[in-house]
Amino acid sequence: MAATTITTTMHPVPVDAFPTLTSTTQAETEKVLREHMPTADKPPTLQKNPHLQFLIRNFTQGMPSRYMSYDASQPWLLFWTLQAFSVLQIGMDPDTKQRAIDMLLECQHPDGGFGGGPKQAPHLLPTYAAVCALAIVGRPGQNGGWDSIDRKKMYNFFMSLKQPDGSFLVSQHSEVDTRGIYCLLVVATLLDIITPELVEGTAHFIASCQTYEGGFSSTSQPYYSADPSPANLLPFPRPALGEAHGGYTFCGLASWVMLQPFLPSTSTTKPSIDKNKLVRWLVQMQGVQAEMGGFKGRTNKLVDGCYSWWVGGAFGLLDSIGINPTSVATPEADGADWVDVDDSLFNRKALQEYILCAGQHPAGGLRDKPPKHADAYHTLYCLSGLSAAQHKLSPSSSRRKQLADAWVQVGDNMELRQRIFLDSLCYSEEEGTDTVVGGAANRVNATHPIFNLTVTHTEAIMGHFYGQTIPQKTTRLS
Amino acid sequence: MTDKPPPPTPYSERPEWSDVTPLAQYEKANPLAPILYTEEYKDATGYLRAVVQSGEKSERVLQLTEHVIRLNPAHYSAWQYRYETVVALDWPLDVEMTLMDELADKFLKTYQVWHHRRLLIMCIGLSAAGRELGYIKQILAQDEKNYHTWSHRQWLLAFFNDEGLWAGELDFIDTMVNRDLRNNSAWHHRFFVVFQSGVREGEEDRERIVRRELVYVKQHISLAPNNASAWNYLRGLLDFNKLPLATITPFVKLYTAPLPAAAKDIVDVDNPPPGQGAELPCVAAVEFLADIREEERNVDEAETLWRSLADELDTIRKKYWEYRIAQARSV
Repeated sequence: MAATTITTTMHPVPVDAFPTLTSTTQAETEKVLREHMPTADKPPTLQKNPHLQFLIRNFTQGMPSRYMSYDASQPWLLFWTLQAFSVLQIGMDPDTKQRAIDMLLECQHPDGGFGGGPKQAPHLLPTYAAVCALAIVGRPGQNGGWDSIDRKKMYNFFMSLKQPDGSFLVSQHSEVDTRGIYCLLVVATLLDIITPELVEGTAHFIASCQTYEGGFSSTSQPYYSADPSPANLLPFPRPALGEAHGGYTFCGLASWVMLQPFLPSTSTTKPSIDKNKLVRWLVQMQGVQAEMGGFKGRTNKLVDGCYSWWVGGAFGLLDSIGINPTSVATPEADGADWVDVDDSLFNRKALQEYILCAGQHPAGGLRDKPPKHADAYHTLYCLSGLSAAQHKLSPSSSRRKQLADAWVQVGDNMELRQRIFLDSLCYSEEEGTDTVVGGAANRVNATHPIFNLTVTHTEAIMGHFYGQTIPQKTTRLS
Repeated sequence: MTDKPPPPTPYSERPEWSDVTPLAQYEKANPLAPILYTEEYKDATGYLRAVVQSGEKSERVLQLTEHVIRLNPAHYSAWQYRYETVVALDWPLDVEMTLMDELADKFLKTYQVWHHRRLLIMCIGLSAAGRELGYIKQILAQDEKNYHTWSHRQWLLAFFNDEGLWAGELDFIDTMVNRDLRNNSAWHHRFFVVFQSGVREGEEDRERIVRRELVYVKQHISLAPNNASAWNYLRGLLDFNKLPLATITPFVKLYTAPLPAAAKDIVDVDNPPPGQGAELPCVAAVEFLADIREEERNVDEAETLWRSLADELDTIRKKYWEYRIAQARSV
């Protein structure tokens, strides 16, 4: 593969002789990034060892007091760290796993759901983080964590947050936002507690968060009235509050994918999103060469390593909503243009360069951009973004068939539950579609495009809660 | 760091708290990735856990929650419990709001400060809303793109849906756009106000509004053509009003070619030309023109434009432009 991204002329983002605060901070960022540009003779390397040291240090020495603001996000600290290890292909020893399980279970609230720490109120965000962390370290049986999750109470907790417009508060007396809904849907899907009752109206809510730019916002407005009640609900679509944003867009799109089995079948009531606009917005978030191909989270904002996952990772969900470049690319175009096996819609190579050259802190851990510090959050989302840029997992009909053939009838609502199970687990990577910048040593694990867990961890926890045995893959898949 | 006030007396040494036994965080687990809390924080949150468990709602709980919030404004449980206490005590909401003015300013990047304001405003009603618009304006003057603040403003306007509140919005947006015409939050707010939240008095003639908006956005593009926010607004405006992209072909074409050597003598207000500092051709304009050609089913010309984006003007998105070509060809 030719080094096209490096050799292309490096134009600064145009200022049109009309500087404003946005263009000034943009120019400053470009200046910093210029000092980190990859050179043709020295391929960038993933500093796995310093990153592992950074992660181990977090676990053993603890988080410095500047992490005190994460006191209400303790399951997140655990999830970010554990999943970063997973992406780096490192498993945990049994003692560490047990400590993580014990800690997470103390964050479970007696009324259902998980809080940001022990004796904190249950909240959708730490609930996601705790359940996903348990997917990584937990196991069935006593002290294994999985069977100590109170699914009945979890469901009631979710229902207690439900709003008339199909959305959910993130916690009692708290805000509605698409991150919370993503978190709820992931947990409900993994734990086999997602029902039509739970998600009624939710797809309409998600669709109403898509803005005119194509990305999704944090929430939408259900009423023009100081008297919020179902009778005063605005007709659909409702106005989005806040502009299109990378984090909300990932959460909105992933939610949309998880809600597919629940969409009404009639076209009159079926909510819809504008897919072309969404794709356009996603690709526009990739910075140009002067920004090293990193992703930004909003129009006219700066690139930031965490959007490597929130935006870069969102491309991995497009196949699931019927956007597949290969299906339109091949036959008529002139042969020479299409020899490249990389059929992604974004520049996978440039994103890897951004993460490797700008995202890595020399002392270990990953970051927003130089000269910032590394932190647990950016470490995971840069690594997950790197994974999304290296691997392309897509829904596979053959994997789907293997799972369907192995399916055994357990419980009620078989058809729906089986569809959710198959939709969630049919992702696989076609051989020869990975693109690793800097050589095989830089390779990281693939991560599930919806859940940001490895496929192995997703299969294990879903197999457990759906009462299924996961069939071996018949072809070699990474 | 030098003029930091000494930490307050620990709750464990305050006689007025001697009836409360602090609750430890973890009972069984030896936590991984433990946070190295300050003594002050450890002390205060131990008492917070205890009062939450006992259900005490009192003035000293307001002091305690304020203390915890000042140390960690992201402590959502402290906020939640504080709100319940404010309601239970029938605490004067103006006093709470004054405190919030200080805290939102200090911690403007946390969700909770904004949400707490929202809860209070819902209790107070419309009379709090006008003042709130002024407060938000002041915050946005120091953090122009603060996501929470902008969406809080939009919520406030939509929730009360009061003509008096809406009345000043276009002027406010002008102020923000004039300060930085690349501020996407301000453009999004304009879209929300003009198109997505009902029709104001005096704006019933929608054709006039569309014309007004076209003039507004084109003028801003002419000042600084390479501004994705303005182009996205333009696309949104046409799309929302179901107007063909070709409505503005003559305008777009001014931006797809290199800058002419001399400015024209005649000013066409519908098609303001690029200023002398403009860096042309403008990628967003070339993309726009390609979309116009696709809309007109002139795929050959669209392909030429997409090719120039893929190979020269916007090579980072090569894959996408090639996808657009393949997509247009497959129809």
